[in-house]
This record gives sequence, C-alpha cells and structure tokens, in this order.
Amino acid sequence: MKDSHDSEVSRREFIGGTGAAIVAANTIPVKAQDRSGESNERAIEDVPLTRITLTVNGTEHRVAVEDRWTLTELLRDHLGLTGTRIGCNRGECGACTVLLDGEPAYSCSTLAVWAHGRSVQTVEGLEKSGRVSKLQQAFIDHNAPQCGFCTSGQLMSATALLQRNANPTVREIREALAGNLCRCSNYNAIVEAVQAATRTGGA
Amino acid sequence: MAIDPLKTVGQNTPRIDAYERVTGQATYTRDIKLPGMLYARVLRSNVPHAMIRRIDTSKAEALPGVRAVMTHETHKIPYGSGSISGGRQYSDAHKDITTRLRYTFNDHVRYVGEPVAAVAAVNRHVAEEALQLIEIDYEELPFVLDVEEAIEPGAPEIWSGGNIAHDSENRQQPIGGRTGDLEAGFAEADQIFEDRFTTQFVQDAQMEPRSALAHWEGDKLILHTPTQGVSNCRHDTARDLGLEDHQVQVICQYMGGGFGDKNGNYYFDLIAAAFARDLGVPVMVELSRKDDWLATHGRWHTVQDYRVGVKDDGTVTAIQLNGLSGMGPYLRRSGNVAGMDVYACENTEKSILPVHTNRVVSGNFRAPTYPQGYFGIESMMDEVAYKLGIDPVQFALKNMVRPTETKQFTNFTLDQCIEQGAELFDWANRWKPEPGSDEGPIKRGAGMAFMMFNARLGASSAILRVNAEGRYTVYVGVTDIGPGAKTTMSMLAAEELGVPLSDVDIVWGDSDRCPYSVGESGSRCTMMTGYAVVEAARDLKRQIAENGMPQGDSVLIASATPAPTTNGKLREGFGAHFVEVEVDTHLGDVRVTKYVTVHESGRILNPLPALDQIRGAVIQGIGQALTEDLRYDSRNGQPLTSGYYWGRHLTHLDVPQIENVFIETDDGLGPYGAKTVGESGIIIAPVAVANAVYNAIGHRMRDLPITRDKILEVVA
Repeated sequence: MKDSHDSEVSRREFIGGTGAAIVAANTIPVKAQDRSGESNERAIEDVPLTRITLTVNGTEHRVAVEDRWTLTELLRDHLGLTGTRIGCNRGECGACTVLLDGEPAYSCSTLAVWAHGRSVQTVEGLEKSGRVSKLQQAFIDHNAPQCGFCTSGQLMSATALLQRNANPTVREIREALAGNLCRCSNYNAIVEAVQAATRTGGA
Repeated sequence: MAIDPLKTVGQNTPRIDAYERVTGQATYTRDIKLPGMLYARVLRSNVPHAMIRRIDTSKAEALPGVRAVMTHETHKIPYGSGSISGGRQYSDAHKDITTRLRYTFNDHVRYVGEPVAAVAAVNRHVAEEALQLIEIDYEELPFVLDVEEAIEPGAPEIWSGGNIAHDSENRQQPIGGRTGDLEAGFAEADQIFEDRFTTQFVQDAQMEPRSALAHWEGDKLILHTPTQGVSNCRHDTARDLGLEDHQVQVICQYMGGGFGDKNGNYYFDLIAAAFARDLGVPVMVELSRKDDWLATHGRWHTVQDYRVGVKDDGTVTAIQLNGLSGMGPYLRRSGNVAGMDVYACENTEKSILPVHTNRVVSGNFRAPTYPQGYFGIESMMDEVAYKLGIDPVQFALKNMVRPTETKQFTNFTLDQCIEQGAELFDWANRWKPEPGSDEGPIKRGAGMAFMMFNARLGASSAILRVNAEGRYTVYVGVTDIGPGAKTTMSMLAAEELGVPLSDVDIVWGDSDRCPYSVGESGSRCTMMTGYAVVEAARDLKRQIAENGMPQGDSVLIASATPAPTTNGKLREGFGAHFVEVEVDTHLGDVRVTKYVTVHESGRILNPLPALDQIRGAVIQGIGQALTEDLRYDSRNGQPLTSGYYWGRHLTHLDVPQIENVFIETDDGLGPYGAKTVGESGIIIAPVAVANAVYNAIGHRMRDLPITRDKILEVVA
C-alpha cells in the first residue's frame, strides 16, 4: 500500500485538486494545513504518503496519510473529528483514547497507517440518531466532566468496558479506566457515572 | 444556621454545556482551524544558566515549509506578567518601575525550558524539524537549584544584585511581619518547639497542553488562548505589545483545566501574536506536554522553619516562621506562605524570602500559598499536640482562631466543621493515642487538619438583556475552567429574575462581548461576578416592572459593577479534614482508606459540581502529599521528572472515595450567601494525610512528598 509519486492518484493531482494531502471517500470537508505555497513544494514531495482505508464511526474513508501522522492527527486535523483530545501525545494520559476494533487504544501512540483496514470509534460516534448514549447521559447527570478535556477518553474506555461487561464492579471500573488521567481529579464522579450506566445502575 | 430554600439556586443542576463536553463538540483552543493558518513551536534552553553568544537560524529558515524564525535578536517583546508581578500582576505601576523585566526571549537564559527561539511553519512536523536546525552557542554559567544555596554569599547570580526576589519597590524584603509581642509570647511559654518542614514543586498539570491562536484584523489582534481571565489576559497582552486594550480581543470558550496562573497572559500568546502580525496569517503556537511542564508554572517549593511556644495546658503563646520559597528565575507570583492566621495566638512573626533559582518558574496553583503553608504549620502543631499528650482535635479546638472584639467574622463555623467531622469520621475510635502501635507490617493511623480561606468580595461586572421573545441573556467574562461558572451565572440570573433556567442564555469567554470579570482565580468568580449578575438582574426586574416587557425589536438592558464590602469583618470559608491511612512498612506504600471532609462555603449554589470541586481538590492534595514532584539532577541542572508518568499523578486506581458534608449558611453577603469553594478542598489535604501517616508509623514526615524511600528510611 506504499504510495509513490506515479501512483494512480498522483501527488500533484490531489494537491491541486483538493488543496490538501488527503483523499476521502466521502464528502467530509478536509482542512489540512496550508500547503499551497511554492516554497513548500519540496517539503511535500519529500514526505512519503501511504494510502489506507479505515472505517471511522461507521463511515469508510480512503485516505493518503503521511507515515509520521498519528491516528489522533488523522482524526483531528484531517477528518475534522476534534473530539479526540491530545493531552500528552506520549501515551501517559489517555485523553486521546479511541476504540480500535472495539478495544481502547491511545490514538496518540498509534500511527495512522496502523489503522489500515480497521474500525475506529471516536467520541463523535457515541451519539446515535441524535440521542446520547446511556453512558453519556450518566456523565451529564453525574457531573463527570469538569474541564471536560479527559472526558472523551474516559467515555471511550468506559464504553469498551460496558460492551464486554454490562455489570462491572467499582474495582473493575477503576481498572478499566486506570489509563485515563483526570487532573481535575474527578475520579469519584466518573466512576459514579459509569456505575449508573451499568445494567443494574450501580445497585 | 438554617438557610431559606430557593427555587433554582441550591438545586442539583447538570452543567448547561455538559452535552458539548460529552459529545466532543466543546471547542478548545487547538480545535480551532482558520484558513491558511500556520503552526509554531518553541525551542527551549537545554542548559540551566547561560548567556547566548550566538544563535544561528539560517538552516532552520532554509527548511522548506518554514515561514519565519523568531529569537531575542529579532523580537524584543516584554513579557510583563512573566517576571515582575510577584502577586501584583494587576499592578501597572510596578510593571513600569521594575528592574527585572523579562522578555519573551532573553539572551541571558536562566532555566532549562526557557524559550530561546520559535519557528512558524506550514505544519507542526516541519516546525519541529526546524527547531532541531537552530544552532546556539551558549556560554554556560554556574547554576543553583537549592534555595538555601542560592542566597549564600558567592552563589551564582541569576540577577545582578542577588537571588532574593524584588518586591514592588525593587527592594529585597521578606514577606510577612509581626503581630503582638513575640518575645513576651515565648517568655510566657512552658515549652518551645522547633522544627523544619519542606515542600516540593507541584506542576498545575492541566490536561490541555497550552496553546494560542492569533490573527489580526487590521491593527486589531484576535487571540484564542486558554486563559482563566479574558479581561486580564487582554490587558497584559495589549501592554506587552504596545497596544490599547480595545485593540486586543481575547477569546476562550473552553479550556482543559485551570488550577491557577492563567489569569493573565503567557509568552506564547505574544509569540503567536507577533508571528501572525509579521506573516499576515493566523498562527497557532502549540506547547508539547514537556514544554508545558517545564516552561509554564507550578506551586513554589518551600523551606519552613517553625518555632512555637506553648504552655503546659496546650495554649500556644508564640509562633515564629522563617521561610524560603523557590520561585525559579522569574518572580511570577508572590511566594508567600499561608496558614498562621488559622490560630488564635496573637504573638507571631513571619518572614518569607522568595528566592530565585535556576529551576522552572513557580506560579499559582490552586490556593497558591496554602497547601504548602498549612503542611508546615499544622504538621508543627500536630507534633506539639502529641508532645504535650493532647488529642489533636482538642488541641485544634483550643488553639484555632475564634471571633473576638477586634477580629469579627461575617459568620463562624470552624468549630462546627471540626466537631462534625470528628464525629462522622469516628475519630475517637480511629485515632491512636499511641502512634505506630499497630502490630504487624501494615499499620493504620488517623490524622486531621482544619482551615479557613478568604471568601472575599470585590468589583466585577455583568450585563443582562431581555428581548421581546422573553429570552434573557447574561454577558459575563468568565471562561468556565471546570467548576461550572457558566451554569452558576445562569442559575443566579434565573433565580433573581424568577424565570426558568431554560429561558436564560449566556455569552462568555470573550473580552469584546463581555464586560470586565476578575477572572476565575482566587475562588472569587462566583462571589464577585456572580454578585454582579444578581445586581444586574435586580435592575432588569425594576426596568421590566416600570416599562413592561420589551416589544418588537426592542430590548431592555441592565448592567452592574457592584463593589460590595464586608464592613471590616473577616469573611472566610471553613473546613476540616479527617483521614485514615494504611502504611505498608515493608514496601513503604501509603494508602488512603477513609477520607471525610466538612466544609462551610456559605450557601451552595449548585451542589452537584460543588461536591466535585471538593473531592477533586482533595485528591490533588493527596497527590501532593504522596507522589507528585519535579526532581532535578543536581550535577547538571536538568529536570528529571516532567510529565504525568514521571510526575506520578494519581489515577483511578489510587484514589479513595471522598465523603464530604457542606454546612450551609447565609451571611447575607455575596450572591445568596455563597462563599469560596474551588480552592478550599486542597488546602489541608497534604497535611491531613501527613498527620495520619505519623499516627500510623510514629515517625514525623517533614518533607513532601512522602514517598516510599522516605517511609522505609524511618521504619527500617
């Protein structure tokens, strides 16, 4: 899947055609960084691109990505899904957690190319037909977000937990969310919210 | 004291922007994309102390995709709030006379992490690459990390004239003063105790790494930045760039955590503004997590030497504190150490020197002068109580501050907080009269501490508008850093207007669209800006009563800038914490097994987030007690533990369930009697944990954080 300058979609074509180093199979607006300036030409030519296919929140995307892009960068900067946050960009805090084939993953520590052929779910994919999930509603009701910056990651880890275990204990909740830091330290409220979204509502 | 129930205020109310926060739609600074925007990164000094002999940016400039490089040679922009504020960040007069002005880039670099250059490029990867191509020739200078060494004769001079920080008149004077008659107090004492307590640097470590996005419309700067105070950030930025206030618009709609030191501007705001002006396009400066750790701020570390005189009956007769606060090379905030005034003793002396070192710059972190100060004084007093054979709860009740003729409070509940907490916690059974008496390697113990925190009143503004549709709009300069200020302001308007919360809209976090706000620091936003909302609502009600509701396209507008006072009385929030810990004396681990807090914060306007302000603050305080630190290699001045992993921040697995009770009161001041909440919870958490550790193992832990090695050293 390695791209080259004479591949079926040439570099120059899609730069000229879309104004961005990306091709999406659907009509998601692409707002990559400004690469139109003449002095940038060599920078762009020097950076290898790889074409990948991945599913994000149920929609298939064919995109050409730089090998150095993380999955977070692809989602945030090129697919417009900014709900996935960057807290540390080095696998310490969990703010960037998404589900990769249903399992929580730090998207800051996952290269975009590794997501080829895989299914990604982000916080934007939790709401279905205009209705927030039971877990999201519990987060609202129990004041689980304070500043809100870790919230997306907490939600994704908890979503994965509840998918494999509809009735986790408090200990199991804490273990499943141990990789998601909250500097507001609103840990008590987050666990209470997850409990409320379990099958028995934490009873 | 019973409080009258209200309709909206006092009800558990989910925050009005909770939907945006749980769906990813909340827009933080880095989520904003503007057409043609560039990305900037900052290069930082990798030596603790040096003069820059030469800086060569030619290779970086030649890198394709790079649009501009900035250094001290190209841009001499004062960073006024960066060095000279010292707790006087709002004092323009001081900024004018200081002899220790900091610039955005300085050729004399004073700590590892100090900005030395910045690159704007087409994307962040190119910008990062370009940083590596900048060549700097440093003339390295001797450095000093330790506050005591820094003030010894012959210490490396970080500023000419010595390493004691300047006060507002450029003098090197200690902070503090005397009350009563210290010598008489010691003469009256039966016993005198002395001890030293030390506390560490603690990074604010908010989850959102700092960034700033600037663009210009003609000669007007529009700055998106995660600030706790759009009004103060605007003023600072205008001043540093030589603009009028009206030429700067600061916008902060969402921010990923405050915790202090963001009620003003930052150097990266100035870098973004200067790049955007030079290049004519929007520029986003992004800090990495490491940048954020080393080149922003955290709680100042301290050395505190206490001397306490006490009678055999347990009455404290004299308290003396000599302290040093490590401020890093620039004085961003005061360096003061709080806590002494929670005791009734009238014979006191406090002398704190804020000292410059070649460490990270210190600044405000949640209750800036308090947790380290309370750790010192309440560890000391706990020790005195044990030495005299007095139960710490009884010692607290005997010696805590109380209302007197000359010291009047708007209301006083400190005794109630202590007594109720002791009962809820079951102090009588959990506390061990003989510390360290548990058999076996796992030892339990209980500790307590008590606090007060000023619930000050002051000037702030609000505007309220109603249209013919019956929609009420609140305009307030709050940025909602996490506690839920938008919701609180809307609830206050709804309550005073007598309308449902759903009829109220809010405009916030924009210095052009909102009137002046003190910003969200000092736990005063609710009391000051909230009270302005109440006053504006009263005025609007009057207008509606006189003129009727507006018709057609007309609107009614009310504004208020009240500056209420307490008429010379003290207005304080009170609290007491009770903690049980389990110490594994084989491993040195400390586990908090029970934590009870009782707080009086006046009327609780929105119980749901108020509870979590306390619980979250307590957990931050436990982190300060047990794990968090920024350690340095003394051989080369390099910081060793930046970031969440090495900084050892508490996770879901490390925290106990916090049990909190609010004693609700209404002293008739502030909005419906509300007092301070946000900072209250952290103030005594570190010392309460430390006192519990003492009760468990019978060894006083005098140096924070209480890590495994320190436990094992004393129990071995």
